[in-house]
Amino acid sequence: MISTIARRELRAIFVSPIAWGLLAANALILAWIFLRVLERFSGLEAAQRTAGLTIELGLNLFSFTTVLSMLSVPLLTMRMLSGEFREDTFNLLGSAPVSLTEILLGKFLGIAGPIAVMGLLPLVLALSLSHAVHLDWGLLAAATVGVWLCGLLFGAVGLYASSLSAQPALTAVTAYGMLVLLSVINRGEITGSQAVSLFDWLSWNEHLLWFLFGVVRASDLLYFVLLIGLFLALAHRRLANRRLG
Amino acid sequence: MEELLSVRGLERRYAERTALRGFDLRISRGEVLGLLGPNGAGKTTCLQILSGNLLPSAGEIRICGLDLGRRPRRAKRRLGYLPERPPLYPEMRVDEYLAYSARLRRIPRRRIGQALEEAKTWCGLAGVGTQLIGRLSKGYRQRVGIAQAIIHQPDLVILDEPTDGLDPVQIREVRDLVRTLAASSGVIFSSHILPEVQAMCTRVMILRDGRVLHEAHLARQPNVHSPGRYRVRLNPASPLTSLTGIPGVASAEALTDDAFRVTLGPGEPADALARRLVEQGLGLIELTPDRDDLEQVFFDILNGEQAA
Repeated sequence: MISTIARRELRAIFVSPIAWGLLAANALILAWIFLRVLERFSGLEAAQRTAGLTIELGLNLFSFTTVLSMLSVPLLTMRMLSGEFREDTFNLLGSAPVSLTEILLGKFLGIAGPIAVMGLLPLVLALSLSHAVHLDWGLLAAATVGVWLCGLLFGAVGLYASSLSAQPALTAVTAYGMLVLLSVINRGEITGSQAVSLFDWLSWNEHLLWFLFGVVRASDLLYFVLLIGLFLALAHRRLANRRLG
Repeated sequence: MEELLSVRGLERRYAERTALRGFDLRISRGEVLGLLGPNGAGKTTCLQILSGNLLPSAGEIRICGLDLGRRPRRAKRRLGYLPERPPLYPEMRVDEYLAYSARLRRIPRRRIGQALEEAKTWCGLAGVGTQLIGRLSKGYRQRVGIAQAIIHQPDLVILDEPTDGLDPVQIREVRDLVRTLAASSGVIFSSHILPEVQAMCTRVMILRDGRVLHEAHLARQPNVHSPGRYRVRLNPASPLTSLTGIPGVASAEALTDDAFRVTLGPGEPADALARRLVEQGLGLIELTPDRDDLEQVFFDILNGEQAA
């Protein structure tokens, strides 16, 4: 049942020009950043280089992919629930023998499709160098996983925001607000402090950084799993409350 | 008869008002129940609760013996629901949408093709399977909405204003479809159109302010001629006293300037009344039995409630 709902969501996303437009724009911007990284890296003498090309790609190309995905994902999730509320199509799911968990997981899996494609874009660009230079593919694989996990977190936040209102545009703005908050929540802390505060822990970029350096830590994986679970649980609660009126 | 739906003490409260209270209902196979009532009477709230889209504040709903609150997935397999606004995705083609609905209703994969063809045949959608739903006319969209509600051949079909916005030919088709459905299942539907309910339903329930004001079996209720009561039209119009003075007339009541409801004394035949009207030169142009049609019952009840 989850796959049935996911397939319909995936189809609904790709039938609209928004997804294609976003993918094209993201591919174009990433290609430009990719060329900038290469140009700067190749223009430096070996002694001036502070990091290898793989690290440079990770810190610039892959990290910027998450920024693009933060901007794109709310536009894809905004209609997922609020559109159903607005058009009254949620009644079809509500009267079918399907649980709210199945509905949410189906929709989450649906948004995971375009997120996966978006997350592959920097890896495809890096692959174009494979015949010319030696890259650390393990590091790039870890960075891709990090980009995917960030995308999935944004998807869960977007889905929760989408459950809050029947106005898709409003839910996109709400999702942006929550994502910006999750991005800057640690900025108020004193820099250089070694203590890991709750705010540091809550910020997704702190966790992404380790993936971009090729380090896959269980604690970072746990962070993404917990936060994705939290936002899906909040969305579930919201849908359950909606039945109460 | 097998009981398909049993509702006891259903209640739905919102913060400031009660949308439904003390609602009891039983539906058996072969029955068609019409829910009537003015706007805001609680019809849609009631159907949304019965379809599992809204939780009741109190009460119990059993579909084919399965508790909708405790075992929603199993109970929902037995019901089909067409909301007031058909739940359609305009970007999908009719066949895709119906196949999606069939999968949501957990029809086994191998049976989906057959279920889809049957639903399309019942709803007159045979020629539009490849069309985008967004490009269909309102009538066809309504048919697609009905098709998704019956594709899994549910035991209980809930239709919220299924004929809304349809032309007379389409209304007749929906009427035939409801009769076909009633042969194998129970049907509940709401409507504003009283003759519609009269034509389709075996039972009627009139709601107002969330309460059931009246419930009756239509097979016995409608068009029943109250003995001794007739409607008379005269041309030119005459005063009421010209009728009350006729021998055999127990009472008369003016409905309009030229139309009257006449009650005859016990044992007085209608032909005697006709003869006397003609003899007195009152210009009789119509003499019909006065029937308790649904419209009359509906307004009598609502007016009675208002007066109270």
